[in-house]
Amino acid sequence: MAKEIIKIENLTKKYGKNTILKDISAEVKDGDIISVIGPSGAGKSTFLRCLTLLEKPTAGVVSLEGEDLTKKTQKEIEHVREKVGMVFQNFNLFPNMTVLKNITLAPIRVKGLSEAKANQQALSLLDQVGLSDKAEAYPDNLSGGQRQRVAIARALAMKPDVMLFDEPTSALDPEMVGEVLDVMRQLAKSGMTMVVVTHEMGFAQSVSNQIWFMENAGIQEKSTPEEFFSNPKTDRAKEFLSKILVK
Amino acid sequence: MKKIYKFIMLALLAITVFATSGFTTSIKADQKDVTYDRIMKRGYIVLGTSPDYAPYEFQTTSNNKSKDVGMDISVAKDIADDLGVKLKIKNMDFDSLLVALQTGKVDMVLSGMNPSAARRKSVDFSDVYYKGGQSILINKKDAGIYKNKDSFKHKKIAAQTGSIQYNLAKKQIDGAKVSGIQKGADLILALQTNKVEGVVMEKPTAEAYAANNSGIKVIQGGFTLNDDETSTAVAMPKNSPVLRKKINTTISKIKAKNLLPQYLKEAGTYLKGNTVNTSMIHYWKYFAMGVGYTILISILGVIFGFITGTLLALLRLSDNKVLRGLSAAYVEFVRGTPLMVQLMFVYFGLGLFVNLPALTAGIIAVSLNSGAYVAEVIRGGINSVDDGQREAAESLGLNKRDRMRFVIMPQALKNIWPALGNEFISLIKESSIVSIIGVTDLIYQLKIVQSDTYRGVAPIVVAMILYFVMTFSLSRLLKFYERKFNNG
Ligand SMILES: Nc1ncnc2c1ncn2[C@@H]1O[C@H](COP(=O)(O)OP(=O)(O)OP(=O)(O)O)[C@@H](O)[C@H]1O
Ligand SMILES: [Mg+2]
Repeated sequence: MAKEIIKIENLTKKYGKNTILKDISAEVKDGDIISVIGPSGAGKSTFLRCLTLLEKPTAGVVSLEGEDLTKKTQKEIEHVREKVGMVFQNFNLFPNMTVLKNITLAPIRVKGLSEAKANQQALSLLDQVGLSDKAEAYPDNLSGGQRQRVAIARALAMKPDVMLFDEPTSALDPEMVGEVLDVMRQLAKSGMTMVVVTHEMGFAQSVSNQIWFMENAGIQEKSTPEEFFSNPKTDRAKEFLSKILVK
Repeated sequence: MKKIYKFIMLALLAITVFATSGFTTSIKADQKDVTYDRIMKRGYIVLGTSPDYAPYEFQTTSNNKSKDVGMDISVAKDIADDLGVKLKIKNMDFDSLLVALQTGKVDMVLSGMNPSAARRKSVDFSDVYYKGGQSILINKKDAGIYKNKDSFKHKKIAAQTGSIQYNLAKKQIDGAKVSGIQKGADLILALQTNKVEGVVMEKPTAEAYAANNSGIKVIQGGFTLNDDETSTAVAMPKNSPVLRKKINTTISKIKAKNLLPQYLKEAGTYLKGNTVNTSMIHYWKYFAMGVGYTILISILGVIFGFITGTLLALLRLSDNKVLRGLSAAYVEFVRGTPLMVQLMFVYFGLGLFVNLPALTAGIIAVSLNSGAYVAEVIRGGINSVDDGQREAAESLGLNKRDRMRFVIMPQALKNIWPALGNEFISLIKESSIVSIIGVTDLIYQLKIVQSDTYRGVAPIVVAMILYFVMTFSLSRLLKFYERKFNNG
């Protein structure tokens, strides 16, 4: 049996009186590729952010490799975050640094790598995402697709045990979606554990081993892609899929 | 949050009350003469004066060095000689002199000061050493209209702010509109430019001005005067029995030898010397020194202001409620009070505990003030950085310090660079207030040159141009770097 990476038990998140996530339990195992899909406002981003405690859960437990994160101090959580890579819809590259510095900053400051070592590693990651010639460029001079690939390389530079993606292709022009998905496919093939919030049904169907369908503050359905796309269990999922397919 | 705020305000209040009460008791408690002991121990006596009141005290230049001269200065020298100590002179605004005495910044004041009953409440006076009368200066062309004070009913008249002359005009001229003006030279200027019809002044001073300005004339005041209002005495801190006795001895000596007419005559020769060359070029050294001090204060103010401001902004964004409240209260308080008051608080208020030179006090006040404004600019800059930047940095495991240092601050600084530049520019202008405690910045020099040359407008124009040159070149420089910043 594969090792458990993330375990979520009875997770609840409220903003004031609004319950955004209600009593969610789920598990991510080593090597899982999970696609989280669902309508806008379902709480997908909030869910993902709760997994690294960028949002503090109102109730429930989130554990990483057996350790309860909700009991940890701010300092300890900073250490936990090394193990979880995160890629955002809007890239969030640091515009005041070159691509290379973006990638090496955390390994040097957090992991204490030497600059030479960090540079070497960054260059090989850039090669992996097809951007070896952009090391000295600034983010503002890159296309959206290039920026997102740098952001992925930046997260990978921390050698995380799991990668979280929040709609990594939603802010991209259509012609750039492919290059980012290709990098993610490659990453999946290499055995990385991934949780991907996405509207790319093709990617969800072909790459992931599980689909989590979120709606109405909860995970309504957990299925394999084959099951979910051919024979969804819940009416809500059926409705959601029919809307997508019409589009 | 609200509570903490209240608490801090209360604490501030308590500190103020404590400081002021400490100050009154320190005056009452002394039975011995601490001022005298201090003078003898140090080997010098500090004279406070406002050197813009020829022939009592004014500045003159010889060998490109300016020094205070006049009848009062001669008397002060005699006092120092008789005490067997050196004389040190501190120049400041007339209004600041009594506070300077009370806070121990100076040991005695000779500044054409009348020993009025009101002043006697806060300081001690020696015997009277000189009795003048009160005259009125008018424009020569008006000689037919104005004969004495009674001609000024319902007219505009001016006198030095806080002076006896000011009160005389208020009380004894029915319905007159009395303007208070700080400096002698400005009073003359107001008269010459017809802002006022007359200026009330001590007789010898009025005569000195009239002798050096062909357009103006002295007339009899015709005021009903008591001794207080015609006489001039030395002011010293309350409870200075020994010092007072010694000074009175010197005064008796001066009277016995009838030295004052001679001192006045000497002062007159300096006046002539002063008016020989009144071109602004002749005074370039004054202006250059003023510009130097203005730049020094502004640069140090901006550096320390930036450091203070950054600290305050970081405190404001910290997780600790108390620190946040303190920082917010500081910023609100400083922004809610005039720089002038803060300056006086630092110089005179803190002066009760530590003896700060005027320049240091000026730089501290300007920095602390600027810090509050810079804090808000920086806080705005930090808040303007997209929250996604913080999240990304956080998700990479960077701790709070590194997030600030490498990610947030560099971007914030880029955003606020123009606003910081503006702060620097306004600092150059606002630093001009330090002249009131006697820091020799550009404004101070402007007033010295005015009273030295008896020319009102020309020095103002020069100072204005110099300020503009400073701020304009700075704003060009900042624009240049801003462009470089944005391209690189
Ligand atoms: N900081 C916040 N304060 C209050 N409400 C919030 C906050 N963040 C999110 N929400 C609310 O929580 C709900 C879920 O938001 P979330 O961004 O998690 O949805 P999502 O499924 O990611 O949607 P999308 O597909 O549009 O990204 C929304 O109704 C949103 O308005
Ligand atoms: Mg979202």
